Amino acid sequence: MTILEGRNLRKTYRLSKRSTVAALKGVDIDIENGEMVAIMGPSGSGKSTLMHILGMLHAPDPNHGPAPELRLGGEDVAALSDTARTRIRARRMGFVFQDFNLVPTLTAIENVALACDYAGVKGKAARAAALEALGLVGLADRAGHKPSELSGGEQQRVAIARALVNKPEIILADEPTGNLDSERSAEVLALLRQFNREHGQTVVLVTHDAEVGAACDRIVRMRDGRIRDDGRRPAEPVMAPQLTPVPA
Amino acid sequence: MRLVRDLGRRKLRSTLTITGIAIGIMALVVFGSMANKMNALIGGGSKYYQGKIVVSVGSMYTGGVQPMALSDVEKIQKVAGVAVATPSVSMMLSTTGGASMGVPDMITGSIPNGDKGLETFKIDIAQGRELNDGDANSKVTVLGSDLARELNASVGGTVTLRDQKFTVVGIWAPTLTAPDKSAYVPLAAAQDLLVGSLPPLMQSKVTASEIVTEVTVYPVAGVSPETLKTRLEALLGKDYTIMTGKDFDAMLGSFSAIFTMVLTGIALLSLLVGGLSTINTMAMSVAERTREIGIKRAIGASRWRIRREIVVESAAIGLIAGLIGLAIGAAMTFLFNDLGRPSGNVLFDLTLGTAVTAIVFSTVLGAIAGFVPAWHASGMDPVSALRYE
Repeated sequence: MTILEGRNLRKTYRLSKRSTVAALKGVDIDIENGEMVAIMGPSGSGKSTLMHILGMLHAPDPNHGPAPELRLGGEDVAALSDTARTRIRARRMGFVFQDFNLVPTLTAIENVALACDYAGVKGKAARAAALEALGLVGLADRAGHKPSELSGGEQQRVAIARALVNKPEIILADEPTGNLDSERSAEVLALLRQFNREHGQTVVLVTHDAEVGAACDRIVRMRDGRIRDDGRRPAEPVMAPQLTPVPA
Repeated sequence: MRLVRDLGRRKLRSTLTITGIAIGIMALVVFGSMANKMNALIGGGSKYYQGKIVVSVGSMYTGGVQPMALSDVEKIQKVAGVAVATPSVSMMLSTTGGASMGVPDMITGSIPNGDKGLETFKIDIAQGRELNDGDANSKVTVLGSDLARELNASVGGTVTLRDQKFTVVGIWAPTLTAPDKSAYVPLAAAQDLLVGSLPPLMQSKVTASEIVTEVTVYPVAGVSPETLKTRLEALLGKDYTIMTGKDFDAMLGSFSAIFTMVLTGIALLSLLVGGLSTINTMAMSVAERTREIGIKRAIGASRWRIRREIVVESAAIGLIAGLIGLAIGAAMTFLFNDLGRPSGNVLFDLTLGTAVTAIVFSTVLGAIAGFVPAWHASGMDPVSALRYE
């Protein structure tokens, strides 16, 4: 079953009044339920932008070319309001970032419980769920520590616990191992792999690291705002860069 | 708890903001208490004047009171609608006429029970007794509570009023208004004191028992003071000041309103500065936490949630500042009242209403100051906020 289905995804950023940059130039992508997919590509290839659209942090451009489509579990989510997208992020998605992005004033358990809170689970239930999630990443004994008292690898595991705590349909990880040494990288990757294998957790991650890519079920390769190889179909021939005018 | 920790993280700036608002609230408390006291005095005066008419030549509110003749009392007594007209003699306790804040110390002489029971403004006796008929020719006095403290007097002791010695027979309970600073003596004693203060040349021309400074007129039931005032004006002419309760209210009510407005204005100005300082602190603190707000938005915090967090935080700043300002302001009013009490200058009256207003006001001010940065923060794009360094 396809959990995330994107068609004609485009995104153009406006840098100033006159210059814009087309980060995503029409992308079709399918993520299957229970899959662990890596999105790879050089800097500026649009992989983070794609991730932000798949993660409902940004909406695809509605008016640059064919109408974009984005379906989450079959439901059309391409043109939802900010409030509706926020709600989906809170309840149906989990995020892991390159630089961990924990709230510095909160302890590990409070950081995880915050995600429960946003998903509508409060108080004791939230604390219990947070503690359980910390247990799954092996940090139950560090629950009362602040991010500054944890190592990078531990902080990223707290972030994974935060991403997992609401049992989301999909986890989106943006360079989750980018700031970690190879040993900690392997730990974090193993953790994601374990949740994918044991709980069927769908994971989409953006990475530069070929080893991380190799550990995934499938690699989507991007270049210049397009998918060059989605890891399923035979690779398309590399096209010369096109200069297409961007409508204002 | 998280809130307090968040405030603690930015100690210096939070402290400065809280100080700014606290000073404003302190000013509001102090000036508000001053206005309360003033209004209590005026309110007491207003109550005193209800249902009666006070006749004098000149007025103690507009300048010197000049003596009038005892024969005027008889003239007034004969006017239709007058139930009782009773003479009294008032003068400042101080012969030098030195100015003081608030109400000056006064000596008032009247005929004990001269009102024939018509007086409605009653003051309780705290110690000793009231003046009675038997005191008519004695040098005895009943003191107001503040004056008793000021003169360090007790029942049975003697006090010196102007240059004469009086035996204290009673002390009134506090009223928080003008009588607290008065000494009440029999009419004859007051007449004697008044004449004694006149220049020697004039002294020989007057008979002490013939002069009074005021006549208090009680109307017959059913006759309004205003009607009676018209008749008295016709009788006495324009040299006489004839004051009813309504006249008093008209004269001092507007004064009181202006006074309150000026004091409130000063306090509000300081609060405006405090409020701007809160907006600044919150704007800085929000800018500092851009990334944190980005994280929260990314993992599912709604815009309302972010706004609420910021507004609640800045309301908390306001509340804390309000409590501190109230504490300092209250301490100041108590201290100044204690310092002023020996000299009779009790200037402040901190009421529950003033205290509650101050707290509510500073909390609301804090919340309002949080709105602008809150709206700004909640409008940020989560991805750009996350990238913010």
